[in-house]
Amino acid sequence: MDFESNYDIAASADFIHTHKFTRVALQFPDHLLKDSTRVVTALRRRLQSLKKCDATGSGQETDVGLFVMADTAYGSCCVDEVGASHINADCVIHYGHTCFSPMTTLPAFFVFGKASICIADCVESISKYGLANSKPIMVLFGLEYAHSMQQIKEALLESSMSCRFDAKPEVHFADVPSSVMFPSKDITKLNELQKQASGCNGASGPTYSIGGLTWKLPEGQSMDDYLLFWIGLDDSAFANVVLTFNACEIVRYDANEKRMVTDLFQQRRILKRRYYLVERAKDANIVGILVGTLGVAGYLHIINQMMELITGAGKKAYTLVMGRPNPAKLANFPECDVFLYVSCAQTALLDSKEYLAPVITPFEAMIAFNRGSQWTGAYVMEFRDLINFPQTEVVDQEEEARFSFLKGGYVEDFENQESVEEEREALALVNATEKALQLRNNSNALMKGNARSGAEFLANRSYQGLNMPSENNSPEPYLIGRRGRASGYEDEKKTQ
Amino acid sequence: MLALGGGQNPQNDDSVDTLLYIPTLERAAPHSSPPLSHTSSASCFVFTSMFCSRSVDLILICINSVKFTAEELRRIMDFKHNIRNMSVIAHVDHGKSTLTDSLVAAAGIIAQEVAGDVRMTDTRADEAERGITIKSTGISLYYQMTDESLKNYKGERNGNEYLINLIDSPGHVDFSSEVTAALRITDGALVVVDCVEGVCVQTETVLRQALGERIRPVLTVNKMDRCFLELQVDGEEAYQTFQRVIENANVIMATYEDPLLGDVQVYPEKGTVAFSAGLHGWAFTLTNFAKMYASKFGVDENKMMDRLWGENFFDPATKKWTSKNTGSATCKRGFVQFCYEPIKQIINTCMNDQKDKLWPMLQKLGVTMKSEEKDLMGKALMKRVMQTWLPASSALLEMMIFHLPSPSTAQKYRVENLYEGPLDDQYAAAIRNCDPEGPLMLYVSKMIPASDKGRFFAFGRVFSGKVSTGLKVRIMGPNYVPGEKKDLYVKSVQRTVIWMGKRQETVEDVPCGNTVAMVGLDQFITKNATLTNEKEVDAHPIRAMKFSVSPVVRVAVQCKVASDLPKLVEGLKRLAKSDPMVVCTIEESGEHIVAGAGELHLEICLKDLQEDFMGGAEIIKSDPVVSFRETVLERSCRTVMSKSPNKHNRLYMEARPLEEGLAEAIDDGKIGPRDDPKVRSKILSEEFGWDKDLAKKIWCFGPETLGPNMVVDMCKGVQYLNEIKDSVVAGFQWASKEGALAEENMRAICFEVCDVVLHADAIHRGGGQIIPTARRVFYASQLTAKPRLLEPVYLVEIQAPEQALGGIYSVLNQKRGHVFEEMQRPGTPLYNIKAYLPVIESFGFSSTLRAATSGQAFPQCVFDHWDMMSSDPLEAGSQAAQLVTDIRKRKGLKEQMTPLSEFEDKL
Repeated sequence: MDFESNYDIAASADFIHTHKFTRVALQFPDHLLKDSTRVVTALRRRLQSLKKCDATGSGQETDVGLFVMADTAYGSCCVDEVGASHINADCVIHYGHTCFSPMTTLPAFFVFGKASICIADCVESISKYGLANSKPIMVLFGLEYAHSMQQIKEALLESSMSCRFDAKPEVHFADVPSSVMFPSKDITKLNELQKQASGCNGASGPTYSIGGLTWKLPEGQSMDDYLLFWIGLDDSAFANVVLTFNACEIVRYDANEKRMVTDLFQQRRILKRRYYLVERAKDANIVGILVGTLGVAGYLHIINQMMELITGAGKKAYTLVMGRPNPAKLANFPECDVFLYVSCAQTALLDSKEYLAPVITPFEAMIAFNRGSQWTGAYVMEFRDLINFPQTEVVDQEEEARFSFLKGGYVEDFENQESVEEEREALALVNATEKALQLRNNSNALMKGNARSGAEFLANRSYQGLNMPSENNSPEPYLIGRRGRASGYEDEKKTQ
Repeated sequence: MLALGGGQNPQNDDSVDTLLYIPTLERAAPHSSPPLSHTSSASCFVFTSMFCSRSVDLILICINSVKFTAEELRRIMDFKHNIRNMSVIAHVDHGKSTLTDSLVAAAGIIAQEVAGDVRMTDTRADEAERGITIKSTGISLYYQMTDESLKNYKGERNGNEYLINLIDSPGHVDFSSEVTAALRITDGALVVVDCVEGVCVQTETVLRQALGERIRPVLTVNKMDRCFLELQVDGEEAYQTFQRVIENANVIMATYEDPLLGDVQVYPEKGTVAFSAGLHGWAFTLTNFAKMYASKFGVDENKMMDRLWGENFFDPATKKWTSKNTGSATCKRGFVQFCYEPIKQIINTCMNDQKDKLWPMLQKLGVTMKSEEKDLMGKALMKRVMQTWLPASSALLEMMIFHLPSPSTAQKYRVENLYEGPLDDQYAAAIRNCDPEGPLMLYVSKMIPASDKGRFFAFGRVFSGKVSTGLKVRIMGPNYVPGEKKDLYVKSVQRTVIWMGKRQETVEDVPCGNTVAMVGLDQFITKNATLTNEKEVDAHPIRAMKFSVSPVVRVAVQCKVASDLPKLVEGLKRLAKSDPMVVCTIEESGEHIVAGAGELHLEICLKDLQEDFMGGAEIIKSDPVVSFRETVLERSCRTVMSKSPNKHNRLYMEARPLEEGLAEAIDDGKIGPRDDPKVRSKILSEEFGWDKDLAKKIWCFGPETLGPNMVVDMCKGVQYLNEIKDSVVAGFQWASKEGALAEENMRAICFEVCDVVLHADAIHRGGGQIIPTARRVFYASQLTAKPRLLEPVYLVEIQAPEQALGGIYSVLNQKRGHVFEEMQRPGTPLYNIKAYLPVIESFGFSSTLRAATSGQAFPQCVFDHWDMMSSDPLEAGSQAAQLVTDIRKRKGLKEQMTPLSEFEDKL
């Protein structure tokens, strides 16, 4: 495919030019980084030519500064606003796969890239699938296929005209709103905006929006009445769709291999696994909140909300900012029984056997730490949707003890908030001292899930740091250290 | 051909001779021995508490139409010397429930004619259907003794009224957790043994369990009717059989030498063995006959007792007692002459409908029949006659009253078994003295579903103090540690309840020594707990029960309709409460798991779950799943090394199998993390040949800090080693829980830390670097040490006649089982077979076996040990490799095992 059109050079240059941006950050994911210089050259050439056209009007125009950003701190699908502000950029052009999470400060232009797709085959698959089922179809797609959707729509219309079957499959398509996004500082305003947008269109039905796709259903219908047809790869965007609409029947059309994938057993499995993680989280005493984004609008709000939720449940919360999490980083906090990862919807699912403690999403935390809320199967990936999520009422005193499915019995939780509060204020020191003075058996230390706070965990460790006052003050004998590199010191190489 | 009456008989039939004595005795001492006559002198009240069933309909029946109220029952509860808490234990199908029935029948709840067929204590439909008891069921009997019969009673007592709380427990091994729960709250046990089948595996298990709890046993040799009707054995042969049964039981009991409990063996001549026919509702102890004959012979009752058992022979011709059989035709053993033959004679007379002979005989025995009963024929007549002559209730109840301890006696020595805390504190003292004024100590042994769905009664025994309605109690759960807040609640008892009749009677309070049900605590107690007064913050809990079975069979359940999930969750919670053994957990893959002791147990549990706890919502259950263990065969072939993610730290390790028996010792708690290191190293060096110093270098046990695997430090002079210990331990807990083969628990592996290279800066050797590395090196060393799977194995005991043996062997062979003992029961055509059977092969074993032996063989399976599977799971295509693949598939893991190269690094 043509390089210029693939990277949407003309449109991006127009965007920069019309808004008169002077410092532009170009954000590339790692796998597209190799094209970055060509993109910059092309873009610069284009801007120059645009400027020449304009130059006749107002002579004074400085050069546009183009900066390439790579190796983003968090997922490459989100716009890296912090990185962009390092170079004082006034807009970001984002290349590659995106999650369309709204930004806080900067406007952004998204270039999805254009993946090739065999339109005829795709259309055939849709109509074949539609005929086999009675329900209407909703077509969703990976953003890299957005460019050919118009053609697919037309082709489908054509084929349904030509075909003489009585029952025509009812097919709907989701829209991509626009590749430009402006920041919204206030999260509530954002929601209002969305509402307005839906109001304008006139039709009064539920509006859905996921990963940049939006669509609207006629009144009285919900997604459960539709079949989902996904065009694209089995990537995080798809996982997001599967989890969010887990009650729908979903098929995936793989454009690369030109085939339909109907067996989504692995995806279904994810949901069950998440259910288990929620049960695990219920037993946690210490929760580490991992900040997984510094750009997605409302992230501070949700972190505060989560803090309140966790302390309200009588647990201890620590907030950790560590860039993209990996097992080694998280294992530095063995006191945390569970981690709560606040990030954009498409990087939210971190599940691997490598992690010492499970990593859950804010939605799962809401279920786990709100007594009385139940796992119904509904699943919310975007934490924005959680901000206005109906809170279940605080449970009354007569509530029974919590049943833990991990231990197969009742486990104690803090009875009510007062005792927590009280303990924290008046008795905190007393308790800490008491804990410190208690006789400990070192051999069974470090049983996960016993400690209530980081300090208590430390007190249970057999090694608690260097003991400064050493009894022996005489100088230690001189020792020769190791030589060589960490991958194999010299003395070791000899012995092996 | 029998004739009655002294001297009227021309033939010198010895059975006639025997009978002669009875009438004479009656004539000589018409006032004596009430046990022989009607129970008219003893009034008997029965109130049952079928605390297992949802249809809790309980009956209070009083003969003599005495109005028996809650107040009166409450009054007897205060007489701690006049209470007997006892359980009925036995092998499956030895007649516990039937025998219990006849005790109840005596009080008139069910007609005497049907006693033995009704099974009062099997209240659930499925119990009746299968003919087995599933849940233990309690019945309280009120029994009034006459002064006459109590004159030999030496212990303390408070009047003649007795309260006997009897718990009928299941005999099937799958439900033996119910037995455990019953034993905890009782002080005595009636061990029922089938006189033909003898002492079976389950008899032995429960008996050992009882003795371990310091429960005093008495024995009844049951199904006597089989001797007379079915087998028609003669007296001497029968005596030998009974003697053997008693001996077998005594062999088990003799191993429990306990100075505090004293001799726990049973002796017929001491009155601690009864002979009963539960089905026909009659029973006797030698006391009954001794009393009768004592005056006849003019000897002491106790002397007479001695003569009625053992090597004592009587020749009616010479009227002399000898200690050897003289060889004369008329010389017979005392027991045969005076007990067995008369009964046999009565039974035969009845069965042959020789009523003309029967009436005079009965008259001489002092047995009067009602006129309508005289019209009965054959078996019905025999049953009625025997019930009137030797009522089971009086014989058994009197044996219990005489020989089983009252709570006040029993708690003196049971306190050591019961109380976890120091035995010199006030709580131990209160339990020891059964002090109603002391602090409350109450053990909740099980939860009983109440009639309103979803709620439970907490049922238990008050060991000291009183529990009253409205009392605020401290609930100490099984994980409570004194001084901490874990697993501890303070809640009020809403009501204290005793069961009376169809209603549950709320009583003001219940004093120590009694059982009680409480309302309002069920939301804080899963299965059991210790209760004490709110202010008693120093009290330690009562020791948790130890079960003889473990939940090795698991099924995954899910609901058919996804929206029923909340119902399922709620249902599982209730199921977990309703049964002492069942465990409801969740798997890593998000599946709900129900684990039980066996196939039958699970079947019952799932039925309960669906029908009672989920309101009939449909569930899907998976095939039974067995958990395996991962172990190693030999020492790692080389020292393996893994590098931390930053490459700056290296751990060197080897794995080796633990010494034989060590894993079991850890399981039993003989060796554990809480031991004194000196004691531990002593045991390890003396019993398992460890180096003394090495034994002190155990870093931890795992999984869950208690499991049968360990990490030992073998390093010499490594810097900063103490810093990474916690991280290695954390990695070990993780790795030992999910082994490298199929993420099953590890077992019997010892990991030796050989060497460690660490970065000089503390920040580069933190938990983040070490924990994942430790996990990898544990896996690497496991994989290099010839990893193997361990599978759980049942001990199966089968009893069957000879012709069924072929079928048994072929089924066992086909199921990978192997027989290690085959024994003919002396005196019977039955064989006793003991075999090992892999649990995974046991599903459907019972039914296959029954089909192959036309229903003659009935197996009892109980988890015995872990057995190593010989095939190599790393070798593609082997049986173990197939198993590993299956497990991984089920768990949603990658089907291919992670290769060693992923865990091991090269320099």
